[in-house]
Amino acid sequence: MTFWKRSRCSSWMVIAVLLLGGLTFSMMQKPTLGQGAPATAPAATQAPAAAAAPAPAAPAMDVPLDLKPAKAPSTDDLSKGDPGGTMTGTVSDVIASDTKKGLTLADVVNQVGQNRIGINFVWTLVCGFLVMFMQAGFAIVETGLCRAKNANHTMMMNFMVYGFGLFSFWVCGFALQMGGGAPYSTLGGVNSLNSEFAIPLFGKMWGLWGSHGFFLSHAGSYDVGAMVMFLFQMVFMDTALTIVTGSAAERWKFAAFAISSIFMGAITYPIFANWAWGGGWLSQLGNNFGLGKGYSDFAGSGVVHAVGGITALAVSMIIGPRIGKFSRSGKPHSMPGHDIVIVLTGCFILAFGWFGFNPGSTLAASGNGALRIGSVAVNTMLAGATGSFGALLYMWMRYGKPDASMSGNGLLAGLVAITAPSGFVNTIGAAIIGLVAGVLVCISVEFVDRVLKVDDPVGAISVHGTNGLWGVISVGLFADGTSNYGGTWNGVTGNVTGLFYGDASQLVAQLIGVATLLGFIFTLSYLVSWIIDLVVGQRVPAADELEGLDIPEMGALCYPEFVLKQEETSVAS
Amino acid sequence: MKLVGLLMALAGWVVPVVALTQTQSLAARGAAAVLGILVSLVGILVVVNGEHLKHAIWKR
Repeated sequence: MTFWKRSRCSSWMVIAVLLLGGLTFSMMQKPTLGQGAPATAPAATQAPAAAAAPAPAAPAMDVPLDLKPAKAPSTDDLSKGDPGGTMTGTVSDVIASDTKKGLTLADVVNQVGQNRIGINFVWTLVCGFLVMFMQAGFAIVETGLCRAKNANHTMMMNFMVYGFGLFSFWVCGFALQMGGGAPYSTLGGVNSLNSEFAIPLFGKMWGLWGSHGFFLSHAGSYDVGAMVMFLFQMVFMDTALTIVTGSAAERWKFAAFAISSIFMGAITYPIFANWAWGGGWLSQLGNNFGLGKGYSDFAGSGVVHAVGGITALAVSMIIGPRIGKFSRSGKPHSMPGHDIVIVLTGCFILAFGWFGFNPGSTLAASGNGALRIGSVAVNTMLAGATGSFGALLYMWMRYGKPDASMSGNGLLAGLVAITAPSGFVNTIGAAIIGLVAGVLVCISVEFVDRVLKVDDPVGAISVHGTNGLWGVISVGLFADGTSNYGGTWNGVTGNVTGLFYGDASQLVAQLIGVATLLGFIFTLSYLVSWIIDLVVGQRVPAADELEGLDIPEMGALCYPEFVLKQEETSVAS
Repeated sequence: MKLVGLLMALAGWVVPVVALTQTQSLAARGAAAVLGILVSLVGILVVVNGEHLKHAIWKR
């Protein structure tokens, strides 16, 4: 039997090594010239010919156009219906600014511009709606991984974090985050968000926070583009907040949760997001210090997930473990959740929502290299799959069974890790990043449980914290130098390129981001949680915890018709 | 001791940021970043967490 187990284990390892080897070999094949070359190369070769030709006269913009060649369908034709779809959406649908004068070239050009921004608005909004739906995924994943006696409390935290976060982000979070980063060219500029508070230090300007856009009314922020940006950034912020509710579940006082969430949505998250996305100092590491294209976090492995995971670690340390989680000798006990069906269903909802999270972070589906959305989506899909595969393989080899909840966490870990690099890597890189994340989440869960002895009922610290940091680092390793979304990234000309493709400085920028997340975000989150603990108290009374938080905290059971198993409270080793 | 751990975590952030301004060498900046991350991790996982473990609920 032992031999059989060993040989089976060896077979798995051989398969894994072959797979990794093959993937690594394929990844190391440099893109051939042309694939990675900037699109300006052909234009440069044509430049002399173009220079030799006489410049054509500029077309008159305000002269009515001859529309006959466009062959607009007649009213009679349209009255018969258009089953083939060939007569709908023609020159007849381009609006003339002066109907008496007729359609001019100026009208057409304006329409083209509005179409581009319109496409980008709709894309960004729809992706934001998908990300908003991830709240439902988080809610049922966390609730399913908790015990039935705490189900109402866990669901309510996930439900209300949406409102608390939205409110605080509207009041000041959005302004602090994005109030100084304009122009946001894919959304029409949003030029009102152009005031960044920065301090001069060592001969450079260090952007710290934005200062336009409070209440979405201040300093010209009552603006259509600002509204789209707000919606998209708000649902990202809320994702970070909901990570903490998982790690602190089953013993967090609801009032403390509310205060903590409001502070995080108003201050903690927006400050780091400004540094990375709103024109702050991290994003300027390329411009100011020549480090790659500055700290690059495409969709938020660091900004969203690591901020959430590191805050979760700080809160979990202060709250302490659940009663019965550790014996007197410090040995951890398994406290299984109550519904693996909703856990895995929630994981699928999250994977679905991630197609808004990552591809939507282009903030565009038209112009600025935005057609890379297909690549971003496929990278997202791949890393999630290899993440679940990595976790499944690890658990199967180590414990002899493919663990369902860890497979789900592996999927999420892969998705978290690919979030930052999704816009900069190829599919081979994405598959490796996801696979590593799947294994990493299992090792991290064991480390947090057995070594740190920090109680994290859902594995949020490992899924989002550990793999958020891995995602940030992986940009500096795997970015393949084929994308920059419009010529520059963080204001630096050229493509984002990692160590494996020739630019070590990008990795250093990413490492400085990691140091900031650990050093600044943990310290801030810990101090705030400490103060909340001193003033309000973070933890529920022991009697309430043993009874389950549904009645003491929420006043109603989630499953009133269930007969709940009596809690075993012994902590003897 | 918790404050010492927090100061270590903070120092782990400040070290690579200051190094940015003091040297042009990529290797030195990279080394400072790695050093900063390690200092922060020790401050968080060993010092701060160690202080919590001293008074852990399961030891009472």
